[in-house]
Amino acid sequence: MSDKSNQNISELMDGELSSDCSRFLLKRLQSDVELRSSWNNYHMLRSCLQKEHDAPLIQDLGSSVVNQLVQEQSTVSSPENKSPRGFFKALSGAAIAASVAMVAVFTFNTQQEYDQSHLGLDVVYDKTPKQLIKPPDAMVARVEQPASFSRYPSLTPQVQQYITESNNQPVIPVYYNTEYIKNMIIQTQLQSRKATADE
Amino acid sequence: MKSSELEKMSEKTLDTELVAQAQQGKMQAFELLVNRYQQRVANVISKFVKDRHEIQDVAQEVFIKVFRALPNFRGDSSFYTWIYRIAVNTSKNYLVARSRRIQNTQLEFEEAESFTVNEDHRNLDTPDAVYARGELEKTMSKAIAMLPDDLKEAIVLREVDGLSYDEIAEKMDCPIGTVRSRIFRARDAIDQALKPLLQDESMRKQNVR
Repeated sequence: MSDKSNQNISELMDGELSSDCSRFLLKRLQSDVELRSSWNNYHMLRSCLQKEHDAPLIQDLGSSVVNQLVQEQSTVSSPENKSPRGFFKALSGAAIAASVAMVAVFTFNTQQEYDQSHLGLDVVYDKTPKQLIKPPDAMVARVEQPASFSRYPSLTPQVQQYITESNNQPVIPVYYNTEYIKNMIIQTQLQSRKATADE
Repeated sequence: MKSSELEKMSEKTLDTELVAQAQQGKMQAFELLVNRYQQRVANVISKFVKDRHEIQDVAQEVFIKVFRALPNFRGDSSFYTWIYRIAVNTSKNYLVARSRRIQNTQLEFEEAESFTVNEDHRNLDTPDAVYARGELEKTMSKAIAMLPDDLKEAIVLREVDGLSYDEIAEKMDCPIGTVRSRIFRARDAIDQALKPLLQDESMRKQNVR
């Protein structure tokens, strides 16, 4: 241990060391055995000089106090103090908790099965291995799909549904019906020809 | 240089730091604190308890109580003032409990005549420990007496009169750096003189375990 460190200990115990150095030294004291030994010896010298006639010289009381405290703490936390009654009490409590948990698990499982069968979801989405490997032919395995109304997204779902259901063929407006126009043209041509023939 | 670097950590602040660390459960910090105040507490106890061997037992009990009461220490008073009260109360309680034990002990007259105060039975230490402590005290006193005058004066002014380094520098008419050096050299010289005894003491404790 360097003289500088010991001198710092000497100044620290007199309150004459700078705050930064003091904090650093206090941290070192926690782990450095030699530094703690210097601290104890310098304080023992102080004890010798300060002690009164009737009082004995006290040496390293700190270690015996700390040892006693540690022993007391280990005695308090010792498992030997637990009585057999306490053990059986804990065991019965654990058994009750386990049975309650099992009941909860079984109840939850049965509830899940009921929910799934009610919706029939497993029937709709079940696929055979063949279907999974090879996509199904649309003509052979057609799955009912709900009506999609994405053709007329601006209309309300009810109107979209009416249009889809009521119109198997799309209604072409008059001005887009070429057949009708052709017939009209033919009829007008025939009428005009008839009129000129009469004249 | 920053002002914080020049600012010293006073003894009161040092105690506050150690108490804070002890309150966090750091036992090494509490050990440092006990060694710092062990003798002053023993001096207080010696005013109530006359038996030298019992004084150490009571001192240990005081610091056990101090540790348990640490969460209640708020720093309103100095740490020494706080433990002083605990030491006084513990000493008084010890005397009361001891007097009750003596009253409850019924001795025949003949037994009382032959009853001797056997300090060794009450002493928790072994005879070797008692002897070692006595030797330690003697060696220390001798080492202090053999110090050069300037070192002796500096250490006595610091430890006995409680003067600060500035005050010692003024009294001894020397720079403050010289005071630091003298006090440290005095402590180091006595530490070197005690080393052989302390090594024997630690060997003895290991053998006892």
